[in-house]
Amino acid sequence: MSCDDVDDLTAYVDGELPPARDAQVRAHLRACAACRATEALLRDTVARLAELPAFEPSPATRRAVLAKLDALPMSWPERMRTWLRPAVLWPSAGLVAVLAVSLLMPRPGPDAPLALEDASVMELAANLELAEDYELLGLDSMADLEVVADLHELEVVQ
Amino acid sequence: MDDADLDAQAMLRVAAGDRRAFAWLFDRYHASVARFALRFVGNRERAEELTQDIFVKLYRNARAYQPTARFKTFLFRVATNHCLNEVRRGEYRAPHAPDADDTEGREMEGPRGDRPDAALEGRELERAVSEALAGMSARERAAFTMCRFEGMAYRDIADALEASESAVKSLIHRATLAVARRIEALQAGTVPARSRA
Ligand SMILES: [Zn+2]
Repeated sequence: MSCDDVDDLTAYVDGELPPARDAQVRAHLRACAACRATEALLRDTVARLAELPAFEPSPATRRAVLAKLDALPMSWPERMRTWLRPAVLWPSAGLVAVLAVSLLMPRPGPDAPLALEDASVMELAANLELAEDYELLGLDSMADLEVVADLHELEVVQ
Repeated sequence: MDDADLDAQAMLRVAAGDRRAFAWLFDRYHASVARFALRFVGNRERAEELTQDIFVKLYRNARAYQPTARFKTFLFRVATNHCLNEVRRGEYRAPHAPDADDTEGREMEGPRGDRPDAALEGRELERAVSEALAGMSARERAAFTMCRFEGMAYRDIADALEASESAVKSLIHRATLAVARRIEALQAGTVPARSRA
């Protein structure tokens, strides 16, 4: 080491140098008063920083962050889970049925009633293909979902 | 299972949409992120906003987390990217030393009784550090903060900053030396003036 390699002095103080380099720096320090002075200054500074008072963050942040998460547009796995919950299945069943049927059949049967066990079929279809689209497009709204469904219908028609 | 494994497990649950796992990680790392943000921008109000944004980003990017990586490194990569982007966008163009209010909000210790001549008062030390931080580049500030206040290894800081270890070594050296010089100057200038009667 020479005095030009001062970058290494802080790493030396931090115990971050590989052993061979550490030994070189140690040897240089024995011979060089200027670098020894810098080393002492750095060591003292590092020790001082540990004396700074601990920082107490605001307890209100937790509430604020959790509220922001609630306000986020739902991600697709959350959305799927919400739709497939029986209590909310019916309001969105029409759209989900369109999505599922457009994937699985060339032409939808007009009035096939949606049974709860169909949910697992839909989830499968969703996870297989639609999920990738939502992910890819970063979709946020119901309107976007219909666009995706249309895209798939076009694919089927081809 | 050690702490790092618990973090990784929790983060995988967050990726699956588990809010309770998120709250658990928040409670464990809130103080670290808030401290990082405060040191980065030097202003409590902005640090509070940054902290909130960083955790929201963490939640939204949870599925990018690979359990082979340390969670804390991943978190600080999110935090660093966010803070550096904010600076780049100009929103936090002028980082500055904490306002008087900022420092008064904290419990400052008086001088150490056992070494009265050597110690700056807590408030003066805080000022020296804040002023030095304000004069650094954003990357120096980030590397320095992770090293000195979070005790992160150079390798992990390099991961968080997406830089080489040798670049991190230089950043930390320049930053530490800047703080050292500032403390030295302040001590030379103010300690005799406040001769301890
Ligand atoms: Zn030397």
